[in-house]
Amino acid sequence: MKNVIEIKDLIKKYDEFTLKVNMDIPSGLIIGLIGENGAGKTTLIKCILNIINNYKGEIKIFNLDNKKDSLKEEIGVVLDNSFFPEILKVKDIDTIMKSIYQKWDSKLFFKYLQDFQLPNDKTLKELSKGMLKKLEIATALSHHPKLLILDEPTSGLDPVVRSEVLEIFQNFISDEDHSIILSTHITSDLEHIADRIIFIDNGSIVSNLEYNEILDNYGILKCDSKTFEKLDKSDIIKYKKNKYNYEVLVNNKTKVKKKYKDIVIDKITLEDFMVLMIKGGNE
Amino acid sequence: MLGLIKKDLLMSRNTLKLYLIIFVFYIFLALNGNDSLSFIPPFVSILLMFSTFSYDNYNKFECFALSFPNGRRNLVLSKYLATIILIIGTTIITIIASLLIGIFNNTINYQETFLTFFYTIMFSIIFLAIIYPFIFKFGIEKARIIIFILIFGLSFLIGALFNSIDTNFLTNALNFLYYNYLLLPIIVIVLLIASYLLSKHFYLKKEF
Repeated sequence: MKNVIEIKDLIKKYDEFTLKVNMDIPSGLIIGLIGENGAGKTTLIKCILNIINNYKGEIKIFNLDNKKDSLKEEIGVVLDNSFFPEILKVKDIDTIMKSIYQKWDSKLFFKYLQDFQLPNDKTLKELSKGMLKKLEIATALSHHPKLLILDEPTSGLDPVVRSEVLEIFQNFISDEDHSIILSTHITSDLEHIADRIIFIDNGSIVSNLEYNEILDNYGILKCDSKTFEKLDKSDIIKYKKNKYNYEVLVNNKTKVKKKYKDIVIDKITLEDFMVLMIKGGNE
Repeated sequence: MLGLIKKDLLMSRNTLKLYLIIFVFYIFLALNGNDSLSFIPPFVSILLMFSTFSYDNYNKFECFALSFPNGRRNLVLSKYLATIILIIGTTIITIIASLLIGIFNNTINYQETFLTFFYTIMFSIIFLAIIYPFIFKFGIEKARIIIFILIFGLSFLIGALFNSIDTNFLTNALNFLYYNYLLLPIIVIVLLIASYLLSKHFYLKKEF
C-alpha cells in the first residue's frame, strides 16, 4: 500500500510541550487522529501542512517534501477556528478561491452550497456554527483535492449536521486515490467511518492501529479486586479502579478469556480505549 | 496571490461605500472653499488595510491561508499590493473630483493638483513601507501601539528638528525633492522593496 504521508523523526518543541512523531499514513483510508485537547493533534496537523515550519525532521506528502508549495493544490483543509474573515460573503469565497487554486471548481462549490442550503448573499458572520462548518467543508472540497486534512471538523455540530458531514467524507473516500486525516476528540464520530485510528497523547503516538483491530483484539475486563490481584500483570495494559470493581484494558481478548475462567470481557468503544489509555493506571 | 488581493478589496467594499458617501459630502464642502482632498485617499486606504489585518487576526485567517499554495509569501506580497491598489484607486477618484471642483470653482491648476496628489501618494507609501514590517513581525494589535508611538515620536522629532536646525537647510532639502520629483519615486521603490523583503523575512519565520 502506498503512503500518503510519511513522517520521519519529527520533533517540535515548545516550552512545556514536545511533539515527537515517527509514522507512515497509508493512502486510500480515513484516518482518525484522536487524543485529548492539548495532546498535539493540531500541532501535528500544522506541521504536516507546513503552517508550523520550524521543526526538526522530515515530512513527505505524496512522496514529496511538504515544503513544496505546489502540493497544497492537492490538499483540502478544514482547520479548527480558522477561516475567512467574517465580513466576507459566502459567494466571495468563490471569487477569491478561483484565483488561488488552479483546479477550483465554481460549479461544484455552488452545488455544495445548494446541497447544504447555504445562502450565497449572507456574510460569514450571519451563519450559524453548523452552516459555517459546512461552508468550510464545501470550500475544502471544491478544488478536487486528493487529501483532506480536517481538524475537529465536527465540533459544535448538531447530530443531524454531523451525520450529513460524515456522509460527505464517506463519499469522498469512495475514490480510492483519496485519503482523509480527521482529528477529533469526539471519538464516536469515527466509529462508523475510520479505517485506522492514530492515538496521540502528550505529544507522542501511543497507538496506531486499524479500527477493526482495536475492536477485535481489545476488550475491557471487569472484575472485583480479588480477581484483579490474581491477574497476570503482563495481561494488564491499563486499568481503572471504580467504586465496586476494576476495569482492565486487555489486548488479545480471546486468549485472555480462555486463560481466566468466569470473567467478563466487554466490547470496547473508542472512547473507553482513549479514556483508559490516558487515565488508566499501569501495572 | 490575486485571490488574496481580491479578498482584501472585497473586505474593504463596505467601508469604501461609506467612504464614497463621506467623499460626496466633502465635495460639497470643498465646492464652497479651497480645501484639499489629497490627504483622504491614502488615509482611508491605510485605515481600510488596518481593518483587514484586524479581521484576519480575529478570524485567524492567516493560519488557513498558509494552507494555500504559496500561502506564506503571497500573504505578505498581497497586503502590499492591495494597499497600493487601494491608494492609487481612491486617489484617481479623488483627482477626478478635485479637477471637477477646480473647474466648477474656476480655480483649476493642473500642475499643482497632480503634484499634491503625487506627493501624498509617495509619502503614504513611505509610511506603509515603515509600518508594515512591524505588523508582520508583531501582529496588528501590538503594531498599532508601535505605530502610535512612531507617529508621535516622529512628529516630536520633526518639530525638534525644525527648531534646532537651520530652517534654510530643511527648506532647501524639501525644495530639492520638490524639483527633483523623479528622485522621490526611486527612493520610494527602494524603500518599498526593502520593506517587503523585511516583512517577508519576519513572516517566513513566524509561528502560528
